[in-house]
Amino acid sequence: MESRVLKPVLAVYVGLFILFLYGPFIVLTILSFQQGPEGGPQFPIIEWSTYWYRHIFGLTPPSRVAPLPFGESLIRSLTLAFMTMVTSTVLGVMSAQAFRSKFKGSGFVFYLIVLGMMVPGVLTGLGTALVANTMGIERHWWSTAFVTHVVYTFPFAFLVMLAILNRFDASVEEASWSLGVPPMRTFRKVTFPLIFPGVLSAMLFAFTLSYDEFSRTLFASGRDQTLPLAIYGTFAVEIHPNVFAFGVLTTLFSFSLLTVYAVLMTMSVRRAGRAAIQEDIA
Amino acid sequence: MAETISNISLSGVTKRYGDVTALDGVSLVLEGNEYVSLLGPSGSGKTSLLRAIAGFEAPDAGKVTVFGRDVTHLAPHKRGIGFVFQNFALFPHLSVYDNVAFGLANADSPPPADEIRRRVTDMVRLVGLTGLEERGVGQISGGQRQRVALARTLVTEPRLILLDEPLGALDANLRMRMRDELRHIRERLGVTFLHVTGSETEALAMGDRVVVLDRGRVAQFAAPDVILNSPANPNVARFLNRYNVLSGALRGEAFASAYGDLPYGKRVESGDAAYGIRYDRIAVVEETAPASGVGIPVTFVTSEYLGSAVMYFFEAADGHILEVEHHLGKGRMPEFRPRGKYRLQWKPEDAIVFG
Repeated sequence: MESRVLKPVLAVYVGLFILFLYGPFIVLTILSFQQGPEGGPQFPIIEWSTYWYRHIFGLTPPSRVAPLPFGESLIRSLTLAFMTMVTSTVLGVMSAQAFRSKFKGSGFVFYLIVLGMMVPGVLTGLGTALVANTMGIERHWWSTAFVTHVVYTFPFAFLVMLAILNRFDASVEEASWSLGVPPMRTFRKVTFPLIFPGVLSAMLFAFTLSYDEFSRTLFASGRDQTLPLAIYGTFAVEIHPNVFAFGVLTTLFSFSLLTVYAVLMTMSVRRAGRAAIQEDIA
Repeated sequence: MAETISNISLSGVTKRYGDVTALDGVSLVLEGNEYVSLLGPSGSGKTSLLRAIAGFEAPDAGKVTVFGRDVTHLAPHKRGIGFVFQNFALFPHLSVYDNVAFGLANADSPPPADEIRRRVTDMVRLVGLTGLEERGVGQISGGQRQRVALARTLVTEPRLILLDEPLGALDANLRMRMRDELRHIRERLGVTFLHVTGSETEALAMGDRVVVLDRGRVAQFAAPDVILNSPANPNVARFLNRYNVLSGALRGEAFASAYGDLPYGKRVESGDAAYGIRYDRIAVVEETAPASGVGIPVTFVTSEYLGSAVMYFFEAADGHILEVEHHLGKGRMPEFRPRGKYRLQWKPEDAIVFG
């Protein structure tokens, strides 16, 4: 009885969820194949073409639509996301490792770290800009903006690692010590391989959060823009379907990152699968 | 306590967790090349003691000396003490071979590669795992995992190995087989085993000597037959699960219990007063039969068939349950009437009195 009512309702809910999730992207994708250079960012499609994709890569004859100034900002954003990912993941793993033993003031430090993702981004960005100005520090995407990105993404990496280490059976580490293997090598040879799926997740979080971060970067980054800022900048003039084409390309890039993540995850889970069987029996 | 180059000595080892005292001044001397079982009920501090010796937890007071070296404040990886975990704690991401080779390959100064290969191969053969080297540790059975855990420890050649309920995760059949194997392997290598167990049968069967731990203190440390025949106090007698322990007070030549004055043969000095009589030293007679020796009137409750013996349960007038063990080697299994009235009888010289 219950499932006869509940199941269709849930199905509709899931349908709507997927529609809202992918709807905008589908519309964007369709419009990116608009005819160029006359076609605008709206329906109907005058004629299907790949003009705007060619336009991004400068493969079309010069027209009144200027090429997108995304080349450098894309490199900047990728570099920044990579730097943030490495820093936040290393910090996240190390601090979560520290939280395995309850040290004095651990509760306070926990909230201090988590605050980084709770404070509104605009405030962090603005505050960083003010502090930098007061202290005479020049703002750059690789300095002040990088710091705000780390402050923002580090708590995510930290929480992921905390959850992973919470379920970690410390007796394998003790076993390694008792075999005469020093703590650092034990971490490298035993702990790290076993928490690697968590490390991958922390990396993914940090990278994607930094890659499309807007509000903090807006104030903290200075003259050279990151990709989200550059895209926003083009909206101020006039929107052409080339922005949509670019959106489709970056989304495909994100999907390929996810695929890499999934492949690495499957590989490490398959290895750890033997562990799961062991636990079941024990 | 004499610390020598050839023994393991604990003196006054104390460990507290908040208000709970897990270890209360434990002092012990284990000789090289012996099998010591460590018996105690759960919460008696068995595992805490093992972890303090291994260095996983620092004791609050006391000293641990292993073969003449004070290791009290030494990191676990510098102690050279093996540890076998109840859940085996194998490295799930490594093969059987790599699990066994782990300690050698990752040592501070590892032996040459061909020596590692030789030693690992020899050890794998010794524990009977040849042919399974390339398997993942999730693809082998519980008993094989137990052997990997043991081989992994033995191959690093520690002279002291601590085993924390190593047979606890195995089924009954396998447990019996592994008992023999553990003793066998230890004798061949001449190392010292300190084996923690909650099972009195296992402790008595395996140990050259048995330590009985009670509420963080050593209650008794002696050979299995000594422990069995003269437990140091009523609690030890209870853990052994082979004594009916009656309460009361010691009055000169007799023990005043709820069933009258009971004469006894042997007296053991102890803070707690109690009267102990072994399950297998009791005869059951009809209530009306002529009395001889010591006797208590009882009611038959139930019996339990154990294969080589039968356990009978009788209820005394005050509700206390007394157990009687009848070895089937002594004759066929007697039958008793349900709720029938009988008398339990024994010779005074078979009874121990504590007090």
